Amino acid sequence: MVTLEFYDPSGTLEVTQQHAPRLASLEGRRIGFVSNEQWQAYRMLPMLKEMLEADFPGVEVLPVDTFPQGNALIGNEETAALVKNSGVDAVIIANAA
Amino acid sequence: MDFVGVMKNAVSGLGLAPDAAMVTFPIGMFLPGSDITPVRARKREFYDGLTRWQSTFARNAAGAATMLSVEGASHEDALNKANNLLITNLWGDGLPLWPATRERVDWTLRGAALPRTHVIGKFPPRGGVTTVETCAVALAMAGGRPEYLPVLIAAVEAFLDTESGSDQLQATSGGPFPVVIVNGPIAKEIRLNSGFGCLGPDPQRPAGASIGRALRLLQQNVGGALPGIGTMAIFGAMRYTNAVFAEDEAALPQGWRPHATERHGYAPGTNSVSLVFASGVTNVQRRGAKKETPEEDVLNGMWRMADFMRTPNLAALQGYEKGTPGIMMISPVVAKMMAEQGWTQSSIRQFLWENSKIPLAQLKRAGAPAWFEIDANPVTRESIKLDPWPIARKPENIVLVVAGGDHPTHYYWLQAHSPRVVGRVMRVPESFDRLLADADRDLGCGSDACLI
Repeated sequence: MVTLEFYDPSGTLEVTQQHAPRLASLEGRRIGFVSNEQWQAYRMLPMLKEMLEADFPGVEVLPVDTFPQGNALIGNEETAALVKNSGVDAVIIANAA
Repeated sequence: MDFVGVMKNAVSGLGLAPDAAMVTFPIGMFLPGSDITPVRARKREFYDGLTRWQSTFARNAAGAATMLSVEGASHEDALNKANNLLITNLWGDGLPLWPATRERVDWTLRGAALPRTHVIGKFPPRGGVTTVETCAVALAMAGGRPEYLPVLIAAVEAFLDTESGSDQLQATSGGPFPVVIVNGPIAKEIRLNSGFGCLGPDPQRPAGASIGRALRLLQQNVGGALPGIGTMAIFGAMRYTNAVFAEDEAALPQGWRPHATERHGYAPGTNSVSLVFASGVTNVQRRGAKKETPEEDVLNGMWRMADFMRTPNLAALQGYEKGTPGIMMISPVVAKMMAEQGWTQSSIRQFLWENSKIPLAQLKRAGAPAWFEIDANPVTRESIKLDPWPIARKPENIVLVVAGGDHPTHYYWLQAHSPRVVGRVMRVPESFDRLLADADRDLGCGSDACLI
C-alpha cells in the first residue's frame, strides 16, 4: 500500500471580527437599506419597506435612498460611517446577482 | 443562479466568518420586468435574517496549512486518488495535478528569497491567508519548478495590491484574467516565452504555463474564485493558465524602452512583473496583401488596430484614468519596421489614442452614458463630456509590448479591464544560479539555445 500525503491548497482563513448580534425583535426599530440600485432593487426594496412597516408596530424603515447608492459607493468607509452614525438598528443590503 | 459563494467570499475577506444572513432567489427575478412577488411570499426569511440568524461557521480556521492523505495499491493508484480528492474538494482545474507533497513543496521553495511562513497578504475576495508556502503549494500542483517561484511571488504581490482591483475583478461577471508581463534577464534564464506562441504552451519555454496555472489555482482555491460560486465570470476565458509571457527586450528597436521602464520606471535589466487584468484577446491582421509600400503597410495596420480599439463595449471604463484600455502586442519584426520609419513608442500610442476615440452619438446609441454615471471614479464620470471620447485619459495609458513570433502579419490586442497596471520587482534567492544549472541538467540545453 502506498500513502501519499500532500498539502491542502486552500490556505487558511483568519476570523478577526464577529457578525453583528441579531435583534430581539423588529418592533420599534429603525431599519435602513444600503442599495447598489441594480437588479430590480428599485422595486424590491420599497416592497420590503412596506411589508416591514405593515407587520411590525412602531418600526421605522428609512427611505431606500437615505444612504449613498450604487456599487461605487456602498462599500466605502464614508458610507459605512454614515450608516453607523445614523443610529439604525439594522441594515438590509441589496441586490446582488 | 448562485451568488451565495460570492457573498461568502466577500464576508470572509472582511475577516468575518464566511457566512451571512441571506435571502436568495433565482436570477430571473433580478431581470427587468420580472415577477417579484416571491419577495412577499418569503418575507419571513428577511425578518429572520434580522432577528434569528446565526452563523454556522463554528471554527476559526486560521493556523498552519493542513495535510491530506490518500492510500493506493500502487503509486499510480494513489496519484489517481489524490487527483480525485482535489477535484471533489473543488481545488482542481480539470487537468492532472501534482499533489503538493512535502518533498515537492520543499524543492519548490528553493526558489524563495523569503521565509516560507512570510505572509504576502490575504487573497481576495475570500481572504485566504497567502504565504510564500501557499504559493509554493500552488506552483508544485501546477507542475512548476523552483526557479519559477520568484515570478509567481511577484505576480501574487501585484495581484494582492489593493490598487489592482483584484477584490472585485475576481468575482465579476466579465471574467477578467491576469496578464503578467515579465521584464529582465530572468525571463530567458527560466525559459519564459517571449516569441512564437508566447501566450500558449511551448515545451521549449514552458515556464509561463505553470506560473500562470499556479496563479489561477491560488485565485480559485485561496481567493475563492470558483466558477459560478465565487466568480460570476460568465465565460471565463484564458483561465487555465492566465497569460504569463516576457517582453522580447533583445528585439526592442534602438531608443525603445522596456515596458517595465516605461510604465513603472524600473531600470532596464531589472527583473520585474507588470500585472494587467484583461477581459479579451483578439488577433488583428495588420499586414498588406499586395503591393503596398512599407509606409502604407504600417499605416494600414495601425488604422486596423485603432478601428478595432474604437468600440463602445465599455471595457475601457475601468482603466480610464490610471489603468489601461489594453495591451498592444507588436512582433519584433513589425517593431523594427516601424522604428525604421520613425515611429516611436510614444507616436504609436498617440496615433492609437487619437484615432480610437468614440463619437458620443455612438456611445449613446449603445446605452453607455448610464455606465459612466455610476462609475466610482469622478474623472471617468466627467469624461463623458468629451466628444469624441478617448478610451484612455492619456495616450501613455496604452500598454505596448514587443513580443510574439518574428513575423509581420498580425498585431495582438489584449483588451483590459484594469483600474491599474501594477508592477513589482522580483527577489531571487542567493542560490538562484544553482537552480538554473539544475534546470539545464533536468531539461537539457538551457536558455534560448534549446531548439528541439
